[in-house]
Amino acid sequence: MTTPPENQPSSAGAESAGQGPSRRRVLSYAGVGGLGLLGGVALGGRVSAADQATAPTTPQPVVPGRVSPYGAHQPGVIAPTPLANRLVAFTVNEEFDFDAAGRLMRLWTSSIEAVTQGRPAPGDTARDLAQDNVDLTVTVGWGPDLFTKIDRVEQMPPGLVRIPAFTHDQLEAAWSGGDLLLMIAANDDTTVTHVMRRLVLDAGPFARVRWEQSGSWRRLDASHQPHTGRNLFGQVDGTGNLALDHELFDATVWAKAPDWFAGGTTMVVRRISMNLDTWDELTRQEQELSVGRDLDQGAPLTGAHEADLPDFKALDDTGNPVIPLDSHLALSHHSANGGARILRRGMNYTTYDAVRQRHDSGLIFVSFQADLGAQFVPIQRSLDRADQLNEWTIAVGSAEFAVLPGFAEGTWLGQPLLG
Amino acid sequence: MNRRIRAMALALAAVTSLALLAGCGDDAADDAATSAEEAPAAEASITIEDGWVRATEGTEDTTMTAAFMDIENSSDAEIVLLGASSSVAGMTQLHEMVMDDEGAMTMQEVDGGLPIEADGHAHLEPGGYHVMLMGLKQALAPGDEVSLTLEFDDGSTQELLLPVKAFTEEEPHYHESEGADGNMDEDTDMDSDMDMEESPSP
Repeated sequence: MTTPPENQPSSAGAESAGQGPSRRRVLSYAGVGGLGLLGGVALGGRVSAADQATAPTTPQPVVPGRVSPYGAHQPGVIAPTPLANRLVAFTVNEEFDFDAAGRLMRLWTSSIEAVTQGRPAPGDTARDLAQDNVDLTVTVGWGPDLFTKIDRVEQMPPGLVRIPAFTHDQLEAAWSGGDLLLMIAANDDTTVTHVMRRLVLDAGPFARVRWEQSGSWRRLDASHQPHTGRNLFGQVDGTGNLALDHELFDATVWAKAPDWFAGGTTMVVRRISMNLDTWDELTRQEQELSVGRDLDQGAPLTGAHEADLPDFKALDDTGNPVIPLDSHLALSHHSANGGARILRRGMNYTTYDAVRQRHDSGLIFVSFQADLGAQFVPIQRSLDRADQLNEWTIAVGSAEFAVLPGFAEGTWLGQPLLG
Repeated sequence: MNRRIRAMALALAAVTSLALLAGCGDDAADDAATSAEEAPAAEASITIEDGWVRATEGTEDTTMTAAFMDIENSSDAEIVLLGASSSVAGMTQLHEMVMDDEGAMTMQEVDGGLPIEADGHAHLEPGGYHVMLMGLKQALAPGDEVSLTLEFDDGSTQELLLPVKAFTEEEPHYHESEGADGNMDEDTDMDSDMDMEESPSP
């Protein structure tokens, strides 16, 4: 892909206009008109020093790297959603107890420490599949029932409540609940698959897989710069997530209680089936009105850019709100939910349903919040009540987990409670 | 002491072992080495990573097992791993896999310890070098932790706390057991003993 397409118009004119050496254009992303010249983005990481010197404002392509497994928080909560994502929920064996929880968490910790740094998990018989620099993170969560099974109900975080039933839910057991959760995420699906296998083998003596979901996301744009990404309705999905340095971020995401759980968070996993066929029947304008944002950029209908704040008071010529009151944006916005915010991420899925002989597509919706009951639930109530998107979406799976606090080298996941 | 323990004559084990002896300089190992240098160099001339001990719970012979790990020597002098000790084992030896006169792979105690060259590393893994733990005083279940002390020829020791893991490769590949008969049956005792009963409660 480093060679420009043969059918591109000659760029000789642009070059003679003094916009840069030809070498840069050969390496640049797309020599269409003058845009490629400004981009200066080399595929395959080939940007020479001379290229950088002549284009100092050119952002460098984002390349995958290593994520440390250590810290106050599990890093997968705040890591950008990478290309490949696997969620695996487990049901623990009947004899599982407090001691078993410690043993499994120690095993998972030692495996996670290795695989996230590109090393094979201890005992891996296929050690060549360990891959480095793939942005790999592994996030571990506990379901509400686990606290009963390890006889520590009183230590369950108050922010972890069971998601109530909603009228638009059509939940299937195959996608719901779970005692333990792994979220394995990387920019390489082979790595994700292999790491999942090693961690499932670690869990073998303790638990069996209850459900598994895979989803993909495109986190970089055509210039290899971070962007929000799109769901299968074509919507820019994830706009407005708090930045890490936002003053409300910590309070929104990180739990403080009980003591052992400080630095943890709660996680919602909703499998949302999307009816792409009936969505396709809408006009583009109808699609944009249902969500309250345009499809092109994800800008609110009262703005021009994705980052523009929505103006819910703006009226159109007929006196109606520009952003419909029953649009997804209006109903999910924190201003409509007592200030409740969540940190959300999405992953697209498509599977073929051989019985119904059709594809099933949708979004694996994940949200992190300090207090599930006070943050996710009111927002979801608003959406359940009136969201226009409910016509084309059905939640078919639902689960909630306490995402353990992070750990330091020499310690292990869950040790503050189990150690 | 030259106690030889006969293991299975398996080509797989031979290949693994030879590869280990010949080529420890693979990329993965180099990466592992460079990623592990956070401690001050003075005390980190020996770095041990990704160690583990094979579980005995559910195996045919619960009196012995082995410890595996990656050992990195970042000093500019060869260091020899002389031996090891563990509170869970009556006897501990360094073992290697070698081919005997009949062409079968056997385990034998490493004569004179395991040298780790300057700025080099050693993989202790199934089919190759390992720390043999014999006369086990207790069953080892997955997720247990085993303390192990390694002794080096420079007088230093390393205290390790290693996780116990179930092992997916067939037991006799690296570990003689009474029932071993060379049968390549996929359904090993380890597998069948890891019951995962109970049906899901939706």
